Amino acid sequence: MRSRDQAEAAAPAPGARKRLAIITTVWKYLSHAQHMGDRFLVGYPIEGTWRKPPIDVVSLYVDQKPEDDQSEERARSFGFKVYPTIAEALRCGGDKLAVDAVLIIGEHGDYPRNEKGQILYPRFEFFRQAVDVFEAEGRAVPIFNDKHLSYSFEKAKTMVELSRKLGFPLLAGSSLPVTWRLPAVDLPLGAVVEDALMVGVGGSDAMDYHALEAMQCVLERRKGGETGVKRVQMIEGDAVWRAADEGRWSRKLLEAALSRSDSLQGLTVEDGRTQNLAVGDEIKRIVKKPAAYFIEYADGTKATLLMLNGALNDYNLAVKVKDRPDILSTQFMLPTPPNVAYSANLMNYASRMFETGRAAYPADRTMLVCGILESCLDSRMNDQTPLDTPHLAVRYEPLKESLFARR
Amino acid sequence: MGDEERGKPTGLTRRSAMAAMAAGAGVAAAAPWARGEGAARPRIAALTTEYRKTSHGQGIIDRFMDGYGWGGRFHHPAFDVVSLYVDQRPKGDLTDERAARHPNLTVYPTIAEALTRGTDSLAVDGVAIIGEHGHYLRDEKGRTHYPRYEFFQQVVEVFKRTGKSVPVFNDKHLSWNWEWARSMYDTAREMGFAFMAGSSLPVTWRIPELETPKDAPIREAVCVGYGGVDSYDFHGLESLQCMIERRRGGETGVSAVEVLRGDSVWKYLSENKPTRELFDACLCRSFSLRSPRPGYGHVFPELDQMGGLARDPLLYRITYNDGVIGCLFMMSGLVQDFTVAMRLDDDSPILSTQLNLPGLAPGQTLPNFFSALAHHIETLFLTGKSPYPVERTLLTTGIGCAAVDLLADGRPRMETPHLSAIAYQPPVESQFMRS
Repeated sequence: MRSRDQAEAAAPAPGARKRLAIITTVWKYLSHAQHMGDRFLVGYPIEGTWRKPPIDVVSLYVDQKPEDDQSEERARSFGFKVYPTIAEALRCGGDKLAVDAVLIIGEHGDYPRNEKGQILYPRFEFFRQAVDVFEAEGRAVPIFNDKHLSYSFEKAKTMVELSRKLGFPLLAGSSLPVTWRLPAVDLPLGAVVEDALMVGVGGSDAMDYHALEAMQCVLERRKGGETGVKRVQMIEGDAVWRAADEGRWSRKLLEAALSRSDSLQGLTVEDGRTQNLAVGDEIKRIVKKPAAYFIEYADGTKATLLMLNGALNDYNLAVKVKDRPDILSTQFMLPTPPNVAYSANLMNYASRMFETGRAAYPADRTMLVCGILESCLDSRMNDQTPLDTPHLAVRYEPLKESLFARR
Repeated sequence: MGDEERGKPTGLTRRSAMAAMAAGAGVAAAAPWARGEGAARPRIAALTTEYRKTSHGQGIIDRFMDGYGWGGRFHHPAFDVVSLYVDQRPKGDLTDERAARHPNLTVYPTIAEALTRGTDSLAVDGVAIIGEHGHYLRDEKGRTHYPRYEFFQQVVEVFKRTGKSVPVFNDKHLSWNWEWARSMYDTAREMGFAFMAGSSLPVTWRIPELETPKDAPIREAVCVGYGGVDSYDFHGLESLQCMIERRRGGETGVSAVEVLRGDSVWKYLSENKPTRELFDACLCRSFSLRSPRPGYGHVFPELDQMGGLARDPLLYRITYNDGVIGCLFMMSGLVQDFTVAMRLDDDSPILSTQLNLPGLAPGQTLPNFFSALAHHIETLFLTGKSPYPVERTLLTTGIGCAAVDLLADGRPRMETPHLSAIAYQPPVESQFMRS
């Protein structure tokens, strides 16, 4: 039986400093755990001031400790313990849940890939072990889960359902929806979207996820809110260029998206020149293996993600809005290492949830994007043919206010 | 200086105020200057020190000729660069490649020929002078003698000889030499041609999209930047000036300039809490704040840690005629971007932003701050009016020259009667790149 003091320590009064457990795959320089976890140790910039959240990191679990592991140094420097299991981290070595919040960072580290090319980061497994503790004790605390909930839609769905069943706030997803935009624009709430094109770069399933969630956080604001996705298709190679000729994606939207890029490649790298890669064949020359992810929403809205490695190095969106002559376009800005200032706003939302018990935006968005990506990869596996996605009938209401960094 | 005096514009102020207001009122829609309906596209002469990848000449003139991403499409300016003068052609020179790819462009051996194009009259409708980069004398005060004044003088000689003049754009500060800068300004006014100049910083992205509220009662403003003397300090001064000039009463001129270097900068920050708060706000807007702790990516440094990061800190402290203080901190080693913070009289929260320079980070290729500059230069050439007052750049040139002299002489402070009369009104509309 616990003493009264221990019980109070385990469940601090509202307004007191919160106790945070960080559960991560690996903590090394420039890993997500480092730049996100450090925000709770040393603070972060937000709205022109340096904020030190009223949160103490009290425990840490790291799944892997490579040679350049920093977890022991952080524990020493900031006076917390690294525990050998997630359950022990949540109980701080005692026999009861002893934290007020859990930050799960399942990104980076050495994990296998499945046949779809997805890295099998154990986010679901981490989450499940945290929830096991919650269930055993009849008390649950807020969880932030970095990036997609899981490589598997079924697992992602289970995570969202568990948070609802146990009644704890869940925040998840990429930094891109909440980072700075150049320019600072959003889809007007309730606008009719005629077409959308996102351009991204990097590997699957790490960077395509970021691009899809960036597009989703804008498109969910369309008329009627989010209605889910009924069909997807992913194609690769020359078929991507043919699809433009067939009108499946718009070169005009590509021009708008690329007009926001600061990183065009090819001739720009050679001699600095500006160029319109949306016209002509130069883009074919420099993009060796293009990929297109076609998304058809239940309400008929169509959207495309082009992953164009070799053409650029940033993430840009173009949306044709009904009754608006100009194409809406913006870059989702990713400030460079080591500050990676984009994660400051994301961790501010995590911190605010830990402090208030309220998630600022719905995990349904992240869950849906998990499903879109997984089904796109299934389509690629299945001879790049279209795939009906009745399981992605995910509905949710968008937020009235835009939450990307702009103050 | 009292409020009544401050409110009374000098002749120079009134004229420039009118020009600025006209410019701010949306001149893009105005009739092309001095040309009838259906007139041909303006013909532009571009004069540059060198045309090499990443030089200012390449960044600006390429955008004129090849276009650039702007407002959600690829924009081609509505003018033609017909003549080019390139002063130096080092290894990597792109002049011939650009001339071959743009058949309407002719490269001339002299500035006069670039302007007259084989005739005995002025045969262009606008001139862009880009005197940045290239090998030029660096003097004992650390100033690079870019030949902007010499280029300008040669342009003006053609204007005088032909009895015609056209709008002129001058990249960056007017000259490394204050007397020459003043002479350029006076010549443009006397001859009555539109003159535009300055850095890209005032017109590039701001993160967040902050503009000084018009007529804001600014008490003090701080810019934190990086780079060297007679170089990036000018960008810092323009960053500060474009925000501060919008204060109540508009620009009143500068009465004194002070410089501090080394440990005295840290001492100043430790003893001046209000300035320190603005300085800290700037660091919170940086995307490149160097961590004092190895292995950590983003840590706010304590004042006593900053000396280990910024080895040669500089402060230019500017006293304006109306009592407002502007501080430019040059903090190479601590940051690699330009940020501004301002305190108003009314105790409202500190306003702060980063004047963001895209294209310079690893992986980026396009210095698209030149796109914003090219956009405003296009306005100059199409309307015959500068979208923002050249007095801003005259003043920042003068402040920069004063700071260079003080640093060279080892003096801390200079009264600046020559900058005291440079009063002007800012553009009504914000000019920075945004949606």
